Amino acid sequence: MRGQAGLRSGDEYGNVDVVAGSPAGGARRPGRASPAGPDALQAALSAVARGDEAAFAVVYDRAAPVVLGTVRRIVRNPAQSEEVMQEVLLEVWRTAARFDPTAGSATAWITMLAHRRAVDRVRSEQRAAQREARSAAAEVGYDEVTEAVEASLDRERVRRCLDGLTELQRESVTLAYYGGYSYREVAQLLGVAVGTVKTRMRDGLIRLRDCLGVE
Amino acid sequence: MGERRTGLHALVGAYVLDAVEDGDRAQFERHLLSCDQCRDDVRGLREATARLAAAAAIAPRPELRQSTMQAAAVTRQLPPVVIGERTAATSRRVRWPVGRGIARTWLAGVAAGLAIVLAVAAVLLGVHAGAMQQRLAATQRRDSAMTAVLGAHDAVILTAAVRTGGTATVVMSHRARALVFTANGLATLPGVRAYELWLAGPAGVTPAGMLPPGHRGMSGPMVVGGLAKGEQLELTVEPATGSRQPTSAPIVRLVLDS
Repeated sequence: MRGQAGLRSGDEYGNVDVVAGSPAGGARRPGRASPAGPDALQAALSAVARGDEAAFAVVYDRAAPVVLGTVRRIVRNPAQSEEVMQEVLLEVWRTAARFDPTAGSATAWITMLAHRRAVDRVRSEQRAAQREARSAAAEVGYDEVTEAVEASLDRERVRRCLDGLTELQRESVTLAYYGGYSYREVAQLLGVAVGTVKTRMRDGLIRLRDCLGVE
Repeated sequence: MGERRTGLHALVGAYVLDAVEDGDRAQFERHLLSCDQCRDDVRGLREATARLAAAAAIAPRPELRQSTMQAAAVTRQLPPVVIGERTAATSRRVRWPVGRGIARTWLAGVAAGLAIVLAVAAVLLGVHAGAMQQRLAATQRRDSAMTAVLGAHDAVILTAAVRTGGTATVVMSHRARALVFTANGLATLPGVRAYELWLAGPAGVTPAGMLPPGHRGMSGPMVVGGLAKGEQLELTVEPATGSRQPTSAPIVRLVLDS
């Protein structure tokens, strides 16, 4: 548990105690994104860096559902989401040699690429005043995201940890992460000051990190 | 000073959530270069967001798997960063690509950024891998203007949905004052109509070229040079012979000064 000394959720806001550590039955295993664990993904990724196409299939199988789910939350349009998912996976293929395991897990790296690209996609559309086209397209064939993969354990755990946040923390974090909104937009949506949103995002993520037991 | 630092530290959550705008991001990343603790914090919080992502996982359509594999097979990979090249000043930058740096790394290989766009377009449209190879080869033989744009350090990529269907993608370099335009999934037009690009700016609207007839909705790449400040790129449907001024409303508009 190194590196956590610097950041603690803010007592100065009078928050209730953080529900840290292991909720009932939860193993403190970091980055449990797939059944075989994060190491398999990382091993596959280093083989991908050497041009191993079979290893890329392994990376795809482990990462694609997470990438698609993240992108779809933000982009909404199913066809566009699939397109972004493929772009992200190709970016993983292309830049695998630049991945540095000492700087974070493979899952974190890939989800960062996915989230960032999804956000870039919706923001560039916004800039180009294409928002109405997106929502119009989204009405066609958008089905509620229900197809579950093996993520149900993760989902349950995350839900529980999100429940441990204050309402403002939770809304700030989820509007940003699942909604793709900037902190200024979140402030506007929630009708609170920009500075408040910034600290709630930080404190909310710290609580989440501690509750999930990731390092 | 103290005030300023706290302000920056508070930004760590928004930064990890990609909820910052470009200015904030750049400022925070400069700060990260000189703050070991902040980098640790970023790393830990990123693992938390990875769990948020995992909780959202959904199964992709099975056919996407093969098309992604095919696209990878025709996409050249970036070489690793050679350890000996790392200097104290740059190692942090390359270790974990943060912020906009990612987009640039992604675009760094000459023509490779466009190659990916084309590869994705091709697999989505089911273009045969052989045809794809030819197209990529043709792309890589294009004139130096395209090379200048795609290889430019300030290259950025913009994507937007086309109102009548499809997606427009622009790779642009302000320094080269040029952009490369591609589109995929465009609606097929009757033979007497064609897509035309325009640059719209304070000085009016000027033609920027007709899109060559697409192959299964994929069009381009086209190089548009001589960009001026404040201009927008627009696409309209025109008579196949082209127009001097747009005769219909733009079906996509890309604001170029980002």
